[in-house]
Amino acid sequence: MEEKKLKVGFYGITGCAGCLLSVIFNEYELLDIVQLVDLKAFPFIKQVNIDDEFDYLFMEGLVADRNDLEELKRLRKNCRFLVALGACSCTGCVPAYRNYTLKENYEHLLYRKQAGVEDLKPTPIDEHVKVDYYIPGCPPDKKEIVAFIKSVAMGKQPRPYESPVCVECRMNGNQCLLDLGKPCLGPITAGGCNSVCTNGGFECWGCRGPTKDMNLGLMVKILKEKGFDDKFIQDRMRTFVGLKLPMLEEIFNVKINIP
Amino acid sequence: MSRLISLNHITKIEGHAKLVLGIKRGKVMRCELSAVEGSRYFEGLVRGRRYNEAHEITSRICGICSCAHVIAAISAVENALGYSPTEQTNDLRKLLTLGERIRSHATHLYFLALPDYLGYESALAMASRHKADLESALRMMKAGNNVIRTIGGRDLHPVSAAVGGWLKYPKKESLAILKKEIVEAKKDALKTCKLFFSLKYPKFDSGAEYFSLVDSKEYAVLEGKFTSQHTSFEKWQYKDFVNEYHEPRSTANFVVKGDHKYMVGALSRLNNNHAHLSRDAKKMLNLSRLKLPSTNPFHNNIAQAIETVHCMDKCIEILESLDIKNEPVEKLKAKESGGVGCIEVPRGTLWHEYSINAEGIITNANIITPTAQNLLSIQEDIRAFVQSAFDPWRGKAHQEL
Repeated sequence: MEEKKLKVGFYGITGCAGCLLSVIFNEYELLDIVQLVDLKAFPFIKQVNIDDEFDYLFMEGLVADRNDLEELKRLRKNCRFLVALGACSCTGCVPAYRNYTLKENYEHLLYRKQAGVEDLKPTPIDEHVKVDYYIPGCPPDKKEIVAFIKSVAMGKQPRPYESPVCVECRMNGNQCLLDLGKPCLGPITAGGCNSVCTNGGFECWGCRGPTKDMNLGLMVKILKEKGFDDKFIQDRMRTFVGLKLPMLEEIFNVKINIP
Repeated sequence: MSRLISLNHITKIEGHAKLVLGIKRGKVMRCELSAVEGSRYFEGLVRGRRYNEAHEITSRICGICSCAHVIAAISAVENALGYSPTEQTNDLRKLLTLGERIRSHATHLYFLALPDYLGYESALAMASRHKADLESALRMMKAGNNVIRTIGGRDLHPVSAAVGGWLKYPKKESLAILKKEIVEAKKDALKTCKLFFSLKYPKFDSGAEYFSLVDSKEYAVLEGKFTSQHTSFEKWQYKDFVNEYHEPRSTANFVVKGDHKYMVGALSRLNNNHAHLSRDAKKMLNLSRLKLPSTNPFHNNIAQAIETVHCMDKCIEILESLDIKNEPVEKLKAKESGGVGCIEVPRGTLWHEYSINAEGIITNANIITPTAQNLLSIQEDIRAFVQSAFDPWRGKAHQEL
């Protein structure tokens, strides 16, 4: 008996298209994935997009306006499993950092708004609909996307990577950037990225989101000891995953006093 | 008879755009092309941040041209703080930009454009009958990706470029592998030229001015004056020449020079820089029989194919001369200042401008993307092109609509 292929779709709401490109930039493996599943929709590269009853729907982008929300809700109804693809979708990424900037920083840009489409609070998709799986990162690791598709196509359950970036960073033999006085967020950030930023000499900004068992208070204390001020630490931590770190407010209001 | 045609989700483009066409008795009464992306306010997000954070944040404006935003932001900040990068840093930045142009052109030509010319719904649907072409595309994309990953540390949103230098240098061996790969991919780029020269393009003349950077030394990448068939000005003068206005129905900015629409991108660069093409790219230009300057936007594909050959030659040239020394990143002293960064990126000229205070905090930012500059021209070209289909000597389209 021939096995039925999974019906898959790739969609994007407000974002940079980098996550969808990460799918395409798998180069030859892209052709393998296409063989493995029944690709129903991918408007970025397909003209014919059949938008019904997906098994897995991959969604790039965050909710930034009314159009995004309507599209997201409509597609959620059409799929069995919704996969948040990339940081915008998983955490709100850089666009959701707007929640932590002063209105005076961006209100002069408001006059550019399209009439009739209301801005919404920039938020990851799980603030609006149920999300079944997360492929985090800005951008997501392109190989992780392939691995995800291969495992669900074989009926296996994909598992998130939960250790901090430091684990892979050490295995890659990098010098600790915190030790060099750089504001690296590796210790509180979920890895699975093969520490790609620190391999390139760049400190981790936390794009894959916090680990479940992070010690945020200690991370803040270390950064303070390295001479970074409160505003810098908060801005840096909130750039990619602000909405996933509500405890920061408490830490900075209570005036940090951790032994 | 009047008809309103509304394409709410244009496919095979990067991003989200909508086209509304109103046609009455064979006259195009309404033609509105708008970006329908939610607003992200990047220029607001970098306000209050340190000068060396702008490139990491603004990189997220665009996935396919993330290297471009990184380098434009860094250049603007360095321009403000009065720093000129070393020759090696400039070479690495050029490689990043050229690698990005290679993969972007390959992606656009084969995944977004070619299926329309060959009558397929997608590049993937071409796999059975045009496998070799698709493989060419993937090899070129791979070569471009590998340039970016080797030099910048990651395929998208590269990490190793920094204000004042480079954070981590590529190994000599990996540069040698890279060169070999580009030499291989160049065969595909030459094939791509021939393929795209063989396609049939509509005759069409856009009234736009074609602008790009023009450098006296090379085919424009990071340096030069912003130049068209008619005029030329320095980067820092852009506010006197480039005007911004706002359409109530679009989130993107339309930018006009004086009161002219203008185009940036591969065809503009080719029009203004063809004398500096590599030898093989020049051969391809001759083979194409393209008359320059061309103001036919359909020729942008031909220009992209020729540029891909040139970019590969240029990458090979840089890789051959590059002898990596371990230059430390220059720590720049903050001062109250302002600077402009302007570079050529896959889809045209990209502008970043920042104001910085004495503490090194960004107090203002202005970013103008190629797409924002092109949107008005594209809209007006669509209007004229659709109208031409109704003109009596053009056949029967008007009877069908």
